Amino acid sequence: METQHSVLHPGGTDAETIAILSWIMFGGATAIFFGVAGLTLLAYVGGETMRRRIASGKFIFWGGVIFPLVTVTALLVYGLMLTGARVIASSGTALRIQVSGEQWWWRVRYPASGEAAEAVTANEMRIPVGREVEIELSSPDVIHSFWVPSLAGKVDMIPGMVNRIRLRAARPGVYRGQCAEYCGGPHAMMAFYVVALEPAQYEDWLDRQRQPAASPPLQKAGEGVFFSSGCNACHTIRGTRATGMIGPDLTHVGGRLSLAAATLPNTADAFSHWIRDNQFIKPNNRMPPFGILSNGELAALGAYLESLQ
Amino acid sequence: MPRPSLSNVRRKAFWPLAKAGATWFVIFFALLAAGGFMFAWSGLYSVAASRGHWPGFSLILEFGMRSSVRTHSLGIDVPDLDDPALIDRGAGHFQGGCAHCHGAPGRPSSPIVHAMLPEPPDLGATVPTWKAHELFWIVKNGFKYTGMPAWAAQERDDEVWAIVAFLMRLPQVDASQYLEMAGIELRDAIPVRALAQGGPVGTALAACSRCHGLDGGARANGAFPRLDIQSADYLATQLEAYVSGKRQSGIMQPVAAELDATDMRRLADYFAAQRPTGISVPATSQDSALELGRTLATAGMPGLGLPPCLSCHAVDPDSRSPLYPALAGQYASFTAQQLALFKLGKRRGTPASQIMSVIAQRLTQEQINAVSIYFAELPVRPVGDAN
Repeated sequence: METQHSVLHPGGTDAETIAILSWIMFGGATAIFFGVAGLTLLAYVGGETMRRRIASGKFIFWGGVIFPLVTVTALLVYGLMLTGARVIASSGTALRIQVSGEQWWWRVRYPASGEAAEAVTANEMRIPVGREVEIELSSPDVIHSFWVPSLAGKVDMIPGMVNRIRLRAARPGVYRGQCAEYCGGPHAMMAFYVVALEPAQYEDWLDRQRQPAASPPLQKAGEGVFFSSGCNACHTIRGTRATGMIGPDLTHVGGRLSLAAATLPNTADAFSHWIRDNQFIKPNNRMPPFGILSNGELAALGAYLESLQ
Repeated sequence: MPRPSLSNVRRKAFWPLAKAGATWFVIFFALLAAGGFMFAWSGLYSVAASRGHWPGFSLILEFGMRSSVRTHSLGIDVPDLDDPALIDRGAGHFQGGCAHCHGAPGRPSSPIVHAMLPEPPDLGATVPTWKAHELFWIVKNGFKYTGMPAWAAQERDDEVWAIVAFLMRLPQVDASQYLEMAGIELRDAIPVRALAQGGPVGTALAACSRCHGLDGGARANGAFPRLDIQSADYLATQLEAYVSGKRQSGIMQPVAAELDATDMRRLADYFAAQRPTGISVPATSQDSALELGRTLATAGMPGLGLPPCLSCHAVDPDSRSPLYPALAGQYASFTAQQLALFKLGKRRGTPASQIMSVIAQRLTQEQINAVSIYFAELPVRPVGDAN
């Protein structure tokens, strides 16, 4: 899976403007550096006349006071116009997604609309290419920061507040995001993916996400382990009696790109590994390790979760 | 030439004298150490317990011991020791762990024990000479150079306090009361029934039943946990955890250590097969606690990271992993005590306890009490009962 995670390789309009701003600043800084270096050189080799000219009050006033004042002010105004305006503005037409940063994963909701039920997923969001997406950012515990470098800038998720970020993917692709505000323990393992799809594919995906899990389950044995071990205490699988709200919704977990907030690949083996050894893989995460399960039970449970496509 | 002042003379005379003194000091102690070594090497000193101590030496040892306990037990806070369940728990272990050397009301210790040096004292007589916090220190730490061991599970202060609670009562306990408190009165009735019901583990069963009851229902005051509500897998796993030390208990570890794997399985099967006889728990008047307990058990508090207890500890044994304990019908004081141990990180040795300790760390004491009361009042659903 090829993923993008770089400010310098923008995949959306917002990231492009940030990239342009970065290049302008980088270019300007380079020009000023060489200008200052040139003046220093001139002072060495230019003789007494040149040195007197460089040291004159007039030159220092224009070059040392007015020039930095004008360039820095211009950059600030340009930067604010590019980034600040995008965060504040809100339009009714954009696609709305709610993302809650929680220690140490991302709860993602696509609100119900009309007949269509709410879709809940985790650590992954899919968006249509070319359409403006407005993401509502919140947190129930500590401050997190939402950052997909290839799509947009970063915005903090603050308990008790809803912040907004708007972004638009220009090209299909998988863009990696990362929590950008230290939020305790396994903060470094709190990542996610944004998958930009062609609009038709996106609609298909969202329709499937809005559906409950397949009934009867494809993996009966694994479902039995899921419930007798009490997984339903923390996890929801829509369409079953699993209605736990503490951890991620697992209704279609098998269809996601990763496990444990972009920490493990999504395979049946990775499920088993995670369920038994999660405190080793991601120390201090909020899920208990299930060392009580035998290898056979783990395999059945992994197969069941993987079957939830 | 001026005459040297008196102080100068003194100063000059001091150092040579001090040096000579230090030299003699070193020589004296070197000789003493050498003499001591020679004495020990010669074997002239008798280590015989039969000989007793030199006259007066016992008084010096006693003085040292009492002073040591007094100083080391400073700052130990004494909890409430009047809880009958705590006293019974102490009595149950006293019979198994202490009475052999110290004797018990109406049950003098063996002549073998009388020949020990020092002889384990009759506690009915000596306990009143100690304070509760001093007894705690003694039971927890034991005495060097005597037969008195330290508490086998150093993390379990709660168990040590149970012993202290019983010891404080001991002087007033008569022989018949003791039989009842220590669960010995059952004994005569046991062998025949136990052999019939428990088969080859009849003797071991007699030891279990002193505290947990022959039917596994334990005692109505909640001094000991009920076993009749648990699955055989759960009971066997816990016995193994006691033997391996993954679950700490100065009371259960010594008992479990006497069992082999086959016996453990047989005992687990025996208690799991008992039909729980809905032991009536006196209904509490703590309605608000009961309500909080119900919320925690049935819905949890997701915002606080607390899942509903019943998701894992389902009342119906068929919807519960056999490695999870049943809580419905368990005595509230026991459940609360174990949750407190989970919360303190003192019960996390087994895979199942690693799951529980994560959750227990998020519980407050109020929530622990509430949920324990709620489960105690839930009706029991025995293993293998379809209804």
